[in-house]
Amino acid sequence: MITTERNTVLQQLVSGASHDELVWISGYLSGLLGQQPNRAVLPHSASLNITLAYGTETGNSKALAHKLAALGKRQKHKMKVVALDQYKPTQLAGEALFIAVVSTQGDGDPPIAAQRFFDYLIQEQPDLAGLQFAVLALGDSSYPRFCQAGIDLDQLLRQNKATRVQKPLLCDTDYESAAIAWFDQLLTGLGDPDGQSVPPMLANAPAGPAKKVYAGGITRHINLNDRGSDKATYHIEIAAPGIAYQPGDALALVPENPATLVEDLLALTGTYATQEVSYRGQQRPVYTLLQKELNISWLPERVVAAYAAIVQQEIPETKIGLKDLLKIYPLKAPAQFEEVLQVLEPMAPRQYSIASSPAAHPGEIHLTVALDTFSVAGEVRHGLCSHYLSLQEDSVLSFRIHTNNRFRLPPENKDMIMIGPGTGIAPFRAFLNERDADGAIGRNWLFFGDRNFTTDFLYQTEIQSWLETGLLSRFNAAFSRDQEEKIYVQHRMEEHGAELYKWLGEGAYLYICGARVPMAADVEATLLRIIARESGESTEAAQQFLEQLETEGRYLKDVY
Amino acid sequence: MSTKLSSTERIKTDSKGLRGTLKESLLDEHTGALREDDQVLIKFHGMYQQDNRDRREERAAKKLDRLYSYMIRLRLPGGFLTPEQWIAVHEIAGQHTTGVIKITTRQTIQLHGILKAKIKPTIKAFNEAILDSIAACGDVNRNVVAAAYPSQSAVHRTVHQLADKISAYLKPKTSAYYEIWLDEEKIIEKEETDELYEDRYLPRKFKVAIAVPPNNDVDVYTNDVGLIAIVEAGEIKGYNIAIGGGMGSTHGNSATYPRLATPIGFVDNEEKALKAVYEIATIQRDYGNRSDRKLSRLKYTVDQYGLDFFCDELERRMGFALETTKEVIFTTRADEYGWQQTENGTWTYTLFTENGRLLDEGDVQLKTAIYEVAQTGKANIRFTCHQNLSLCDIALPDKPVIEALLKQYGAIAHTEQASVVRKQAMACVAFNTCPLALAEAQRYMPALISSIEQLLHQYALDDEEIIMRMTGCPNGCARPYAAEIGFVGTAYGRYNVYLGADRAGTRLNKLYRESQDEAAILALLDNLFKQYSEQRLPGEAFGDFSLRAAWV
Ligand SMILES: Cc1cc2nc3c(=O)[nH]c(=O)nc-3n(C[C@H](O)[C@H](O)[C@H](O)COP(=O)(O)OP(=O)(O)OC[C@H]3O[C@@H](n4cnc5c(N)ncnc54)[C@H](O)[C@@H]3O)c2cc1C
Ligand SMILES: Cc1cc2nc3c(=O)[nH]c(=O)nc-3n(C[C@H](O)[C@H](O)[C@H](O)COP(=O)(O)O)c2cc1C
Ligand code: SF4
Repeated sequence: MITTERNTVLQQLVSGASHDELVWISGYLSGLLGQQPNRAVLPHSASLNITLAYGTETGNSKALAHKLAALGKRQKHKMKVVALDQYKPTQLAGEALFIAVVSTQGDGDPPIAAQRFFDYLIQEQPDLAGLQFAVLALGDSSYPRFCQAGIDLDQLLRQNKATRVQKPLLCDTDYESAAIAWFDQLLTGLGDPDGQSVPPMLANAPAGPAKKVYAGGITRHINLNDRGSDKATYHIEIAAPGIAYQPGDALALVPENPATLVEDLLALTGTYATQEVSYRGQQRPVYTLLQKELNISWLPERVVAAYAAIVQQEIPETKIGLKDLLKIYPLKAPAQFEEVLQVLEPMAPRQYSIASSPAAHPGEIHLTVALDTFSVAGEVRHGLCSHYLSLQEDSVLSFRIHTNNRFRLPPENKDMIMIGPGTGIAPFRAFLNERDADGAIGRNWLFFGDRNFTTDFLYQTEIQSWLETGLLSRFNAAFSRDQEEKIYVQHRMEEHGAELYKWLGEGAYLYICGARVPMAADVEATLLRIIARESGESTEAAQQFLEQLETEGRYLKDVY
Repeated sequence: MSTKLSSTERIKTDSKGLRGTLKESLLDEHTGALREDDQVLIKFHGMYQQDNRDRREERAAKKLDRLYSYMIRLRLPGGFLTPEQWIAVHEIAGQHTTGVIKITTRQTIQLHGILKAKIKPTIKAFNEAILDSIAACGDVNRNVVAAAYPSQSAVHRTVHQLADKISAYLKPKTSAYYEIWLDEEKIIEKEETDELYEDRYLPRKFKVAIAVPPNNDVDVYTNDVGLIAIVEAGEIKGYNIAIGGGMGSTHGNSATYPRLATPIGFVDNEEKALKAVYEIATIQRDYGNRSDRKLSRLKYTVDQYGLDFFCDELERRMGFALETTKEVIFTTRADEYGWQQTENGTWTYTLFTENGRLLDEGDVQLKTAIYEVAQTGKANIRFTCHQNLSLCDIALPDKPVIEALLKQYGAIAHTEQASVVRKQAMACVAFNTCPLALAEAQRYMPALISSIEQLLHQYALDDEEIIMRMTGCPNGCARPYAAEIGFVGTAYGRYNVYLGADRAGTRLNKLYRESQDEAAILALLDNLFKQYSEQRLPGEAFGDFSLRAAWV
């Protein structure tokens, strides 16, 4: 479809572009396209047949798709909502109007559930002439590749000759009103593929207060795991007077690269730390740039490809750290380093669920950070941000609040079942403290799990006092490595399945937080089994039951 | 008796035959501890809930609960194990415990560091080896100890059988142990009745010992009930009975005191001895103090009601009279280390295990040594009340094999090289597991002895069998009040020093100095040893000299 040469140039052009630049480029490109013949003709005020397909990781896109569908129905349009992983791409040809709502994950990647759909468009290159579409992109402008998956999808569809009826909207974290306005515009037929009719400020949802950067000093820093544990999980308290957040929100921050790594890079390339370099139009000392701004620890494939182009070597398409890259494929000349800097990308922020409650811990933000540990060629390594935080005992952090309206406490008289193994307990600590402070009367049931009872029982004494005061009505814990056979939270859920189902029947809200893989998937599978068993119905019926819960906002996940 | 019952009494009577809510406690997932009442009840099942006191502070800062674990003690009348049972114990210790096998001062063994979730598997494994921990702790008859001194095997066999019989006779009748720990079906309808313990059990622990003069290795007078075998021409003619011994006291509570048992008479056969022990227990059940646990041992009951009343009541309950106490002479309390041949020609090797801690350390691999010996199947195992271990019933042809194994793992050198005082010494568990400990004992005593050995050497007293004992609190688990030099912890690093008990354990010591630290202890001992070495009469024991010199 596009030559490697062109692609490299394109990648160089877009990689690291600010979102304003991207918007401009995308506008420019669609303008170019608009001069070509395949142009949308939307019938005015007729009843439309619309398919809303969403690709989601944390559920925002899904919730938004449903919301838009409801709006569309009210205006007498025929609306169908479908998940991209359930969607047969071969149906595309038969769609009247196809609207994709898709978020961006990882390093600008589509959500896992949408990957297959993307692959289909790339590999099969179906002829989509006649398909009318629009893309609603969800993202977060604090990530370097803002809404990249949405941008890619829009481009892929157009490359396959589909017809865009309206410019994609690149949504930031505070997206709802902008998304509705965009959709309204589309429905009223004002949609203009040339992009003129969507005012530029609308094309990007405005940055809300959530984008504010705060500074807070660390006041407490405790490793919650006991000696002898092979894990380290830090309880970190940050002074945050006057910073507004709600239980369920996360804190987002950009870590610093380790000084030793930066020094190694400078030594490898023969660069002086104080040397001024220009990056994206700004001058600063190379040391600061490397330490505070650029992702150097684990480069995505596209950056590796760009590096390969600079040093003119064959480098396999794989992720790798900059230091290893420089060692294995050295620069041809020291001066090339400045070129390399230009293809590097800004560091992405990391999120941590807030473990404190504004009501119970005024002026504070607590986090529960697990030191990410993995091994490379037999050598123990740590994840960048969690390692950085594990070392900051009293420094000042700059961070943002990441609002998460999809993970909120239930009404105060409703029961709550929380499944939060490992650091998944963090938001539930916030929930429980908040409910305690508010005197909420709903019952609370917590499931926790980790490796070993004696060393890895996070917040054990707090949990014990919640049980004592009755804040927790029930508590179950599973420790996977205390016995030969592995026991996880889902085993405890299974053991108490009848009671759990009863709670759900009585209107309880169910929350899951923690590792997406494998925990969240296993827990969900167990839930389905429990529901099927206890109701005596089929798996499909159980699935529907769970979907119903989700629609009612009673089944909430915050998994990563 | 008019005052209100202690909380433990309510726990016992409400316990539904020692069941309480133990089953539920085991299922509590938020804690490694048991529910409060169950912490009391589990003692009756031979276990103690403990926590690692060294780790409390750091864990609290980590928002972790105390590091709870359980100690389990076996019911092992006379301290006897077959080699197969030893192998089982060794393997169980290797699985869910600290790995150290601890020989207690009452001829049994205990394992430490068992997590709540591992109690049931541990008990199941013991059960498979026909071992249990029923009544090893709690307000019941405890492990019955009997003379281990090997060179009198004919009467020893009888005495050990008696220990078994007493243990069985005074065992609680409830089947709670089997239901809770071994998942056996509950025998519901007719709730088992226990004529001895009823639903109240005893007011306090109840200890029985059987001694065979002239060796008082069991410290017979420190027990609630002491039976002293009267042996004539190699045959047991009957038993003297002594009542009201006990070491426990409380700092600053003058109503409490250590006491040696008082001989009250003689019975001329085993059946009567059994009956006597049983009825002494029923009198204690009915008359013992149930409101203040510090004053509830049999010794206080005896002193409160008087010996006359007690003996009358005992004879009434037994239905026969006690005869006059026979004269007995004890000359020693020492274990006979090394090889000893017994009357029937078999051999015994008694090896030294400091404070009963059986483990592998450097070149001294005691735990492995015993394991290897047990693997040969050629020696039985018996524990002594000095926390030592005897390999016994070894046939002459098997002796070289066993000797070679003991040599290989350093057990013989360890036993031979230990000084005389070290081999006589005892210390209780104290820190870091005993919740009552005020000062160190077992972790500190070995180092203190090293310093004391130097002093003794200075005065050429190396071969004096001076009996020294240390406990971390006045509760007296290592019988410090019956030591020639007793150290009883008062605060961290400080000990009361007691002097003047006799070598055979028939006289208590007395307080000499209060709250001494190590430097003071060594200084005062230096002075005492100097005087002793200069002024002692030939053969005069240190304890006796202490009295003559009017130190106490
Ligand atoms: C909504 C949300 C809430 C979250 N809440 C929490 C929370 O409450 N607590 C918590 O602890 N975490 C939480 N996380 C996860 C957290 O954001 C981070 O993802 C996590 O801490 C790992 O980040 P890191 O920078 O330490 O690791 P990274 O450096 O990002 O590494 C992540 C992984 O990449 C690979 N990798 C990185 N560098 C290399 C290399 N040089 N060589 C080989 N492989 C490499 C490894 O597999 C590593 O595990 C949350 C995430 C989300 C999205
Ligand atoms: C681990 C992670 C990585 C993300 N990476 C990006 C990114 O590279 N670019 C971006 O615009 N948004 C990124 N986001 C933000 C999400 O796209 C945003 O939160 C969106 O609302 C999620 O929608 P969903 O719930 O439908 O998946 C990332 C979020 C997470 C949790
Ligand atoms: S004597 Fe005191 S410190 Fe020592 S084990 Fe007994 S109760 Fe504990």
